[in-house]
Amino acid sequence: MQEVTAQPSRIQPVPEASKSNHEVRKRIWRNRWLYVMIAPGLLYFIIFKYLPMYGLIISFQDYKPYNGILGSQWVGMKHFTRLFTEPDFLNILMNTLILFALNIFIYFPIPIILALMLNELRGNFFKRIFQSLLYIPHFMSWVIVVSISFVMVTMDGGIINDLLVFFGFEKINFLLNPSWFRPMYIIQVIWREAGWGTIIYLASIAAIDPGLYEAARMDGAGRLRQIWHITIPAIRGVIVTLFILKIGSVLDLGFEHVYLLLNSMNREVAEIIDTYVYTAGLRQGQFSYSTAIGFFKSIIGLILVMAVNKISKKMGEEGVY
Amino acid sequence: MVMKKKSFSIMLAALLTLSVMLTACGGNEKPAAAPAGGDTAKGAESDAPTEIKIMLPLNTSETPPDTIKKELEKLTNTKLTYQFFPADTYEEKLNSSFATSSLPQVTYLKNQTTFIQMKDAIKDGQFWEIGPYLSEFPNLSKLKPEILNNTKVDGKLYSLYIGRPLARQGIIYRKDWADKLNLAPPANVDELFEMAKAFTEQDPDGNGVKDTIGVVDRNELTYGAFKTVSSWFGTPNGWGEKDGQLQPEFTFPQYIDTMDFFKKLRDGGYMNQDFAATSKTDAVKMFTSGKAGLYIGGSMQDIDSLNKDLIKNVPEAVLDTHSMVAGPDGKFAQWMIPGYNNVVLFPKGAVKDEAELKKILAFFDKMMTPEVANLMFWGIEGVHYTVEDGKAKPTDDKELIEREVKGYKDSVIGESETNGMYEPYNILPGRIHAEELLLENVKVGVPDPTAPLDSATYTEKGVELQQIITDATYKYMYGQIDKAGFEKEVENWKKRGGDKIIEEYNAAYKK
Amino acid sequence: MVEDRSFGGRLFAAVNFTLLAIIALITVLPFIHVVAGSFTTSAELAASKFVLIPKVWSLEAYKFIFSTNTIFRAMGVSVGVTLVGTLVSMFLTALMAYGLSRRDLDGRKVVNFMVVFTMLFHGGMIPTFLVVKELGLIDTYASLIIPSAISAFNMIILRNFFQNIPEGLEESAKIDGCSDFGILFKIVLPLSMPAIATISLFYAVTYWNTYMTAILYLDDSAKWPIQVLLRQIVVLASGMDHSSTLDAAVPPPDQTIKMAVIVVATLPILMVYPFLQKHFAKGAMLGSMKG
Repeated sequence: MQEVTAQPSRIQPVPEASKSNHEVRKRIWRNRWLYVMIAPGLLYFIIFKYLPMYGLIISFQDYKPYNGILGSQWVGMKHFTRLFTEPDFLNILMNTLILFALNIFIYFPIPIILALMLNELRGNFFKRIFQSLLYIPHFMSWVIVVSISFVMVTMDGGIINDLLVFFGFEKINFLLNPSWFRPMYIIQVIWREAGWGTIIYLASIAAIDPGLYEAARMDGAGRLRQIWHITIPAIRGVIVTLFILKIGSVLDLGFEHVYLLLNSMNREVAEIIDTYVYTAGLRQGQFSYSTAIGFFKSIIGLILVMAVNKISKKMGEEGVY
Repeated sequence: MVMKKKSFSIMLAALLTLSVMLTACGGNEKPAAAPAGGDTAKGAESDAPTEIKIMLPLNTSETPPDTIKKELEKLTNTKLTYQFFPADTYEEKLNSSFATSSLPQVTYLKNQTTFIQMKDAIKDGQFWEIGPYLSEFPNLSKLKPEILNNTKVDGKLYSLYIGRPLARQGIIYRKDWADKLNLAPPANVDELFEMAKAFTEQDPDGNGVKDTIGVVDRNELTYGAFKTVSSWFGTPNGWGEKDGQLQPEFTFPQYIDTMDFFKKLRDGGYMNQDFAATSKTDAVKMFTSGKAGLYIGGSMQDIDSLNKDLIKNVPEAVLDTHSMVAGPDGKFAQWMIPGYNNVVLFPKGAVKDEAELKKILAFFDKMMTPEVANLMFWGIEGVHYTVEDGKAKPTDDKELIEREVKGYKDSVIGESETNGMYEPYNILPGRIHAEELLLENVKVGVPDPTAPLDSATYTEKGVELQQIITDATYKYMYGQIDKAGFEKEVENWKKRGGDKIIEEYNAAYKK
Repeated sequence: MVEDRSFGGRLFAAVNFTLLAIIALITVLPFIHVVAGSFTTSAELAASKFVLIPKVWSLEAYKFIFSTNTIFRAMGVSVGVTLVGTLVSMFLTALMAYGLSRRDLDGRKVVNFMVVFTMLFHGGMIPTFLVVKELGLIDTYASLIIPSAISAFNMIILRNFFQNIPEGLEESAKIDGCSDFGILFKIVLPLSMPAIATISLFYAVTYWNTYMTAILYLDDSAKWPIQVLLRQIVVLASGMDHSSTLDAAVPPPDQTIKMAVIVVATLPILMVYPFLQKHFAKGAMLGSMKG
């Protein structure tokens, strides 16, 4: 909550705030064209993002589509109470947070490492080929990804289990054993998204002044030292920004993907907030309940983003706002 | 700085409309923003074609062309606008159109689940009650009263139904395997088990390798094998009477027997080990690639398409259908659906008065004549189908049917007994057998007693609660919980709202 | 990059190359499976576990999907929406991102926060639908573009790139009499080509993948983009719907057709990246500074 109250004081940079109104007005006038540039975008956000936000009201109502928001009955915190008193709520929240942690600690660094590796390739030919191949999986929908994995890992004639048997191992129940759900999930995320994730890092690596490397080589720095002292510092800003934005999506883990992997045998680890919303809310037309859960997710996301943003500023980064 | 001017005018427009919007959500009293094709006032004269806008789920890859629609307009003296939306995301479209009062005059729902969701709105008077008008229309009044009864809300009729055979489920199995191993079609559940065992262990495909399995099942209790087998065991359909009270099926001992049956099948390796995670496509693939011998619980009419794919892979394969499998007590039983697959509703927001409603109902009345029903279900005679022995035989050009006719098939009101359309002309012996079994099934059919009943708690969290039972059922079949564990989950179900559902259904049942 | 001829350098390069080659192979194999599957018969697809090179070649699937003009029309819509949408979005995003990248701008923090806020809180489908409806965008192609014209994520990333441009460059340009618009279009944009290419790609992919907005905002199915067709076929072929097997004479589409549609709907957007790649070349920034 501290962040929220601290917000207004940060609107104006400290040094300028001490200056006179006159100077501020002068500066604003000087920057008038910048405001003109921002205006269309700001207007877009107001019309298409802020105007519809009144829709969040329905999380405090028993919303019926035909009554509209004005006509629906107010029920206060009923839906939030239902969520928090749900016997499985803590378990579902934990499952969500664990998948999120996997995303942050295992998936997040991989595109960075891949981008660094691609950058070290000699010759543009292979660099382009590899890049183009790595980003293809991003265009395969989760339905396809999951069904291809099924064919590979099923115990009923899947390639991987056949190989295990061939080499004298026991078959592994990848699909139903709860302890295999998380590895399967994160491997599929990495497979589909890692190559795509490199693009943004490659773009910021491309913006590095080649003169820096030249100078480092003069000083006798090897490949690894160049990466450590030039490349990584140069893309640090992008990494931090992406990290903060990723944190903001803390409870959004790709509904479709998890839902496709979910089954009766692994539900205890695989049920996350989004899949719960689908079964308990959307499939039953419980608009208010699903909106309330979304609201809860947003608030968690907001708190985390504000915290991480603050930390990153303390560490001398720009942050996202 | 054109940009700037433009954006200011947009902003102005936006601010002006904001006030309109906030009230627009009130919905009811606001005249529908797009009065579904009824803009131009219609004269009372009957020869002007009625304009009707229809919204329905799309179950083909693309929207059908006008071929059928044009004929339909001629036959019914209407001007029709069909709006198809992908079935997969139909609920979203339905909900957003509903909330913004832009549903058209004729609104098809998607299935029984969407119908249950809509019940609140129906009770609130958002749709026309059509019960009182039905008798004015000779063909509509032929609709089966017992099925109409299943679709009533608080005892009143608001919808027309799209019919479905009451019990299509059974077994599709490899007759060539059974013949080779000298097995007769299973007369009871024990023989069914033995057949699955033999198909697994006795190398029915004769390749010298033990690479076949008996049953292939999937991650679905209702439309997979489980529910069908459970009704053979004598489990009631959804709900059953015990000590004069309605109780859910999973409190009956026969339900436990069925779970034991599948547990034994799985433990013995006589069915696919991953069935709790197997999708329909993968299950079907396992069957059509010649790996599995029994496909249980699906519609027996699917034998045509299974056969088509199977003989591509295993040319010598022969399929047959079977459904009369007796339980341990020697009795036959088949669970039945409520006889409809979907319903059509008439929103008051789009249908302004009784006169308009009657015109629309007249259109549906004509749809229930053989001529129109055949057109919509089979297509144009000579183009999409031919008549042989008084039955419709679709053309071999399946793509033509898929493209031009299939989109309309699921919107025909009633069933062939009531709308007089042709029965299909079948060639495959297994399919002809299936049609006979369909009639046999109904003779021992068990309806779901709660189909016409209402429970507020079920509407609110029935799906969520059912999940508890589904999970427990699979866990039992995989041996992760025992009978005591299963009963604990049933208690859990009761505690979290099941008790209220039982109470509410029983209260409604007594009435 | 000048080659490092030391032993360590060579070993590093060799290991790096091998690793990447393996990774690339793993990522691309399933796609090859899909392409191969689209060129074979459904029988072979069902019989073998993982087709990589078809034993039997068949063009049946492609014949089926190209036998009507639907796919061409949908493709045309998608290409048009992607092109126009990306242009509109890039224009609006670049303007906003540049404005917000200037540190001396009063109020930028508020605006930045407002943008981040929209990434976390959403009003929901129905209120947004009402806005689109009241603006008269229903059943227009504009409804696929305007309601998603700016992505907060893309705007923030682009703003970040702009912030990394040395302020000295802008200052000197200003002294030379450049207006803010002049600085943006003559200095900042040319210096940010890798970033512009990246964000354009992100937008292009988003527009190409448009599905839900099309279903919600377009009643006329003739206006649907390719993704609607793709998803419809994938869903039908995956047999996710229990209720629609009414008539077995018309079975769901073959798996080969599903794969062919995936190939057709994916290839155009896959081809965008190689074209943009030249902007990722090294020294793009330096080159333009000199020019």
